[in-house]
Amino acid sequence: MSTRRGLRLPAGLHDDSIVGRVYDTRMIRRLWEYVKPHRALVALSLALMIAVSAAQLVQPWLVMVAIDEHIRTGDLGGLAWIAGLFLLALTGEFLLRYAQLYVLEWTGQNVVYDLRTTVFAHLQRLPSSFFDRNPIGRLMTRVTSDVEAINEAFASGLVMMLADLFKLAVIVAILLWMDWRLALVAFAIVPPMIALSWFFRLRLRQIYRDVRRLVARLNAFLQENVTGMRLVQLFGRERQNLAEFERLNRDHRDAELSAVAYDSSFSSVAELVASITLAAIVWAGGWRLLAAAITFGTLVAFIEYAGKFFQPVQQLSQRFAVMQAAMASAERIFGVLDVEPSIRSPEAPRALPGRPRGEIAFEDVTFAYNEGEPVLRDISLEIRPGERVAVVGWTGSGKTTLIRLLVRLYDVQDGRIRLDGVDIRELAVPDLRRAVGVVLQEPFLFSGTIGDNITLGDERIDGEKVRRALELTGAQRFVSSLPGGLDEEVKERGSNLSVGERQMISFARALAFDPAVLILDEATASVDPETEQALQYAMSTLMHGRTSIVIAHRLATVRDADRILVLHKGRLVEQGTHDELLAKSDGIYRTLYTLQAAG
Amino acid sequence: MIHVSLAGPMLSHFLEYGWPYRSRYAGGLLLLLATNGLSLGIPWLLRDAIAAMERGARLTTVAAIAGGMVALAAGQSVVRTMSRITILGTSRHVVSDVRESFFRQLCRLPATFNDAQRTGDIMSRGINDLQLLRSFYGPGVLNLCNTVIVYVAVLTLLFTIDVRLTLLSLLVYPPLFLGVNRLSRRMYALSRRAQEQLAVISSRAQENFSGIQQVKTFVQEEREIAAFSEACAEFRRRNLSMAAVRGAMLSLIGVVAGSGTLLVLFVGGRHVALGRITFPDFVAFFAYLGLLAWPTIAFGWIVNVFQRGVGAMERVQEILLLSPGIPSPLDDAPLLAAETDAEMAGAIDIRGLTFTYPGAASPALSDVSLSIPAGSSVGIVGAVGSGKSTLLDLIARVYPAPPGTIFVDGADLTTMPTQRIRRSIGYVPQEAFLFSRSLRENVAFGEPDATEADVRRAVETARLSGDLETFPGGLDTVVGERGFTLSGGQRQRTTLARALIGNPRILILDDVLSSVDADTEREILSRLAERLRGRTCLFVSHRFSVLAGLDRIVVLDDGRLVESGSHAELIEKEGVYARLLEQSRLERRLEAP
Repeated sequence: MSTRRGLRLPAGLHDDSIVGRVYDTRMIRRLWEYVKPHRALVALSLALMIAVSAAQLVQPWLVMVAIDEHIRTGDLGGLAWIAGLFLLALTGEFLLRYAQLYVLEWTGQNVVYDLRTTVFAHLQRLPSSFFDRNPIGRLMTRVTSDVEAINEAFASGLVMMLADLFKLAVIVAILLWMDWRLALVAFAIVPPMIALSWFFRLRLRQIYRDVRRLVARLNAFLQENVTGMRLVQLFGRERQNLAEFERLNRDHRDAELSAVAYDSSFSSVAELVASITLAAIVWAGGWRLLAAAITFGTLVAFIEYAGKFFQPVQQLSQRFAVMQAAMASAERIFGVLDVEPSIRSPEAPRALPGRPRGEIAFEDVTFAYNEGEPVLRDISLEIRPGERVAVVGWTGSGKTTLIRLLVRLYDVQDGRIRLDGVDIRELAVPDLRRAVGVVLQEPFLFSGTIGDNITLGDERIDGEKVRRALELTGAQRFVSSLPGGLDEEVKERGSNLSVGERQMISFARALAFDPAVLILDEATASVDPETEQALQYAMSTLMHGRTSIVIAHRLATVRDADRILVLHKGRLVEQGTHDELLAKSDGIYRTLYTLQAAG
Repeated sequence: MIHVSLAGPMLSHFLEYGWPYRSRYAGGLLLLLATNGLSLGIPWLLRDAIAAMERGARLTTVAAIAGGMVALAAGQSVVRTMSRITILGTSRHVVSDVRESFFRQLCRLPATFNDAQRTGDIMSRGINDLQLLRSFYGPGVLNLCNTVIVYVAVLTLLFTIDVRLTLLSLLVYPPLFLGVNRLSRRMYALSRRAQEQLAVISSRAQENFSGIQQVKTFVQEEREIAAFSEACAEFRRRNLSMAAVRGAMLSLIGVVAGSGTLLVLFVGGRHVALGRITFPDFVAFFAYLGLLAWPTIAFGWIVNVFQRGVGAMERVQEILLLSPGIPSPLDDAPLLAAETDAEMAGAIDIRGLTFTYPGAASPALSDVSLSIPAGSSVGIVGAVGSGKSTLLDLIARVYPAPPGTIFVDGADLTTMPTQRIRRSIGYVPQEAFLFSRSLRENVAFGEPDATEADVRRAVETARLSGDLETFPGGLDTVVGERGFTLSGGQRQRTTLARALIGNPRILILDDVLSSVDADTEREILSRLAERLRGRTCLFVSHRFSVLAGLDRIVVLDDGRLVESGSHAELIEKEGVYARLLEQSRLERRLEAP
């Protein structure tokens, strides 16, 4: 079977162009489904956050009391008490914040874990055609960065935003209560500040959009030139392309420079506002103080509170951006979760009677990966129980597709396929796939040990069965020579084993499972003659006593078959024994045969 | 404790790129000094204001001081903006320079480099590492300077106000400083571990998605989900152990300012009560100490930015320090018009050529000798992996040939300017790669000055003009990866036009008409024959129709030249050539509609 390779692109190149809203009720509601099981933790986190705010906001108050009642009166004993209380508040703030951050992270991690595994599990149920349509890179983004964006929103998005708003409200209340005139002077700066930061935010968003666009262009140019550098050099384009790159690089730099300018001004404005507020409090505070309406302590506490007021206001826009990114990711994730698995077991699957006999029938089967380009057309064939069939054909004749349909990786578009007389769509999918064992051209090993790769986690296959399978296929010899034996770890899909060894393991696996029908996609990779012989032996052991279909590449296998099916351009054009087919002059089989003999 | 290895070569690399902008950095530093000077004036005025209030001065005095504070704040804000723009902006300039040298170097390195380094790796250096360098040269430098300035200035002022109180405060801040630093370093280590696990999750997902058919065939969905969930659970565990440290760090940061307050309140308050320090000084002290909170917090971050910047610089330098192996036209002076126009005859002489790819065990070509007279046409035939494309690449100098093995018009290839040989060659590689630009630009890729008539003529010869009508924008249709999708045959014909437009003396065609149907092929060949009269041609092909008309055919087998002669001679020989030809005849039959 052909393997599709995923192109791994560095972050930033995969620009899925969904721009999220800050708050999308539909998305929030769906995300809530994942948060709900942990709602007690969320509530705890919120409660802790309120406690943190309380411990924080009591501090300026203590400063006020200390100044007015102790420092300015010279009451040193009382000062020690206040200092003690302050230390308590500080310790409380430290511990509570720690607990709050941890609980929030714990909740977020659980939610994200659930979401990530749900997405992955859902993808496992989607049919192969879904994977044909969606590049692997895009699917990877769904289970990695999209989920991370939601985690980010959890850690510093909505919950923190609620906490900030709460804190702001409390500060406003305290300031108003302490001295409402002074408070109003201090707040006078808020509306212009909000207006100003709004202006900057809009400008910045525009500028950052330009920057992102230019980054994408720059990186796309880089990527294309890295890939096609050979041609750039062959055609002597180095100078021109370097000049083009310089232009793109310059444009990008200039856009970044204006982003820097706005960004710097924006953060300075925030500092300016804080300083102006300080001055305003000094001025209005002086007036109130001289009028004996407030004390020095109140003035100092006021300055402290005002300082705590601006921090969350400034962070608000950052939190907005995080939420926006999370909403966009949520939309993409739910987009995947909303895809219905089209190949499923029926509601009431029919059971195969005990061990299937292994009779296969294709009835007028037609199939196309892309509409209008049929890969198989009106295929009708019957394979008797225990028969050995070889399928041959030139590249693109539809051999592999035939197998994919038989194990329901794809569903036929017309006609039907029966196993022991039952339409395979009426069987439970796992039952069907266990009845039909497949040994692939590129032996496929899963992560785990060699033993795991033979049992595939099926508990019915005990140590004895594994041993017998290894022995019968002749794989015992090389497995026992491995340092870990059966417990040897398979690394990266088997890169630490040779092709022949991997092939042996997949043979042993098939034998251990003892399927009624065996499909063998014969290996094309060249192995040394000794291994070749061992493989041939293992193959004939494997085919013994069961229906077998071999996608044949070697003449030897073809000759031994009871019947040879010749596919050509999606049609079954010839069938018969080797000798019968060879007798047809000008036949496709004869051509294929001569071609192989010549090579 | 705090350890950034900036010693040796990396430091000089950092200086090398920053040096051209030294006056900007110096200006930025001056602005930073100025802005901090102004911002430190504000608590001083606060002190004056409180003193005035304590004296019971008139409101106008207080208002004047408040006015002074606004003036300082405004000045401070303007200067700080300028300092940020200067330093952060300079980092953009520096990184843009590094990026340019990076691309220039990529253009200089030969194809052997590109084969060895995967595109993803190069891209990651060109994108992620440059991002890290940007943080180094920008916010890294800015915050380092700022932290030093603030610490020095604030400590000086604090000592001026009260020595004992300052010394006492120093008991609190440095330990916090170190505590935050230690925690942040631990956090970065844990965060790296978490990132590694995220990479495990990615590769698990990638493995699964790319093998999804096998997963399904073997009914392994549940086990794959279990394995994936396990990786996710490990990620959660690592994230939580990071959260434990991060929580401690953030909580500690949260109380940095508060503990200063506590200290001033308790100790300073006693001083005020005992009359050792005035109340206004006390308030000013309070405010100044608050200014130390942020630089204290930022320090751990700065250290991290510097460490990562050093790693990034190392990875970028790894590529920048490679030696090209083949002289790049970028290093030569542009060819003079006379040199470009000096026509080559196009005779190629290969003498005992043996070539082994770097890292390969056996040679791709062994002892190949071949003489191609100017203006003749030669076919190169052989099985997959027999060395055909390698031979063509060596002639076109895509790979470096050993000296004294390939001669063009009698001159050793290795002594010729690369530009000259490449300008004389029109190469149509096997893989029909097109750039994401208009069809016109793709055709005129090697001849940016080509006229409309030149483009039309090349397109005509390559039999592409008929197809143009079916493209949305004719010659201006953007093609390539991010453009309009052409069929395999159309792509091949475009690459043919691209090679023809420069009127090369030597034309190299590497199996280029494989996706073109027989009729079109015949037409292209007849037009080519006309256009290529008197030019040297090298064809790699399996097609009888192409080979039969050539002057000579050579057969490669496992890197050796095994047969040579005309089409008729080789068929008569009934050797490798005859067998390959028969094979390709059968293949064509199977592929026929």
